[in-house]
Amino acid sequence: MPQFFLNKRLIILLVSIIILVALIGFSLKDRENLTWPEQFLKDTTGFIQNAVSSPVNYVAGFFENVEDLQNTYKENKELKTRLDELARLESEVQRLKKDNTELREILDKKDSLSEFEPKQATVIGRNPDRWHELLIINKGKNAGIEPNMAVITSKGLIGKVKSSNTFTSTVQLLSSMDPTNRISAKIQAGDNNFFGLIEGYDKEKGLLLLKRIPYDAKVKKDQNVITSGLGGVFPESLPIGKVVDVVPDEFGLTQTAYVKPGADFYDIGHVMVVKRGALQPELMEMVDEKEEEL
Amino acid sequence: MRRFLLPLILLALFIGESIFVQITPHDLLGSGKIAVPRFLLAGLLFLTIFGSKKHGILYSLLFGLLFDIVYVEIIGIYLFLFPVIAFITTKLMKILQTNMAMASIIVLLGITLLEAGVYQMNLLIHHTDMVFAAFLSSRLVPTLILNAIFIILAVYPFKRLSEKFSDSLND
Repeated sequence: MPQFFLNKRLIILLVSIIILVALIGFSLKDRENLTWPEQFLKDTTGFIQNAVSSPVNYVAGFFENVEDLQNTYKENKELKTRLDELARLESEVQRLKKDNTELREILDKKDSLSEFEPKQATVIGRNPDRWHELLIINKGKNAGIEPNMAVITSKGLIGKVKSSNTFTSTVQLLSSMDPTNRISAKIQAGDNNFFGLIEGYDKEKGLLLLKRIPYDAKVKKDQNVITSGLGGVFPESLPIGKVVDVVPDEFGLTQTAYVKPGADFYDIGHVMVVKRGALQPELMEMVDEKEEEL
Repeated sequence: MRRFLLPLILLALFIGESIFVQITPHDLLGSGKIAVPRFLLAGLLFLTIFGSKKHGILYSLLFGLLFDIVYVEIIGIYLFLFPVIAFITTKLMKILQTNMAMASIIVLLGITLLEAGVYQMNLLIHHTDMVFAAFLSSRLVPTLILNAIFIILAVYPFKRLSEKFSDSLND
């Protein structure tokens, strides 16, 4: 027997590295659900986090309120100028909504991609290492939360549900770098809509990358970006942000837009998990049968 | 009872890290700088240095697994790095003397190792495309500053706690 196999420590190190690689490979796999020990542990720690986070948030909220008071005068001035505009907008929205329902009735088209039901949840934890931008929220399968649902704040889309346990769920933010994290989006440009995919986040600039926009699309600065609902998971017209800059991609076949997210990815206290009203298509239905035969 | 105090405090640090990130502004040490709280690892290494080596490595393994499952959802990164760093610490303590200043420096070294290890692992699994120079300036330095402050505050209480913990093991 060679000396090599007698070195107990070396064997332990090698075996543990093999187990490590296997475990990382297992957890990187596109998993529908976590295993039950993971779910159990997450729920248990979620319970403690829930108990701790509400008093902590209360105290932190107090200090934030004091800070807010200092800016009240300036904010009030600004808000007053916007208020006049708001009344006009509101009446217009009312009119358009009514129009829309009437027209829908005429067409006999009841479900729409933009319909959704929101569920309120509170953030009880956040991944401290900030490599993987994950939040833990205090609602889970019990409250009807399923993986892949969209998560928004009042200002816009922040991410999607990565996994859900019985009492807690994990939210993956748009700012986390994950090649599988793609969102079908569209740019509202007057009468036209340009479609693309949100793929990736520029950490230094704090901007989202909207890729695969057609090369002939005339995208301008400050145009709104919303979800398109065509990905089959998210509802339509959740706000994402505004276009800041457009550049052609490396081969010049498509364009990439830099999008400033409407929501703040750091200061998140309360979120809404969005369940899409329209039916979710099954993956199997979308596969072309002929293609499968080949 | 004294035996359970230290694990409970480690659990509090585990949850405290997440709360710390939530309530402090994201640009605590300047814009674009990411300061990661590594209070749990600091606690684990203090236990390894002042208390029991065996329990230090064992708790590193347990809390590494917990950290992976709860915060990262990729099992293996912290599960591997926490015990390895605790093991290196035990080896280092054999040649160095155990006092508070030396312990603080070793814990800082451990945090540097952890940050570098996590960065390398994330690079391997394509969860980041940060270059090494950017990692040094925007992550490692702010993280070390933040944790140095924590270590200075915590070294004495942890020394007492760990010694009491190892006393209770001997009883």
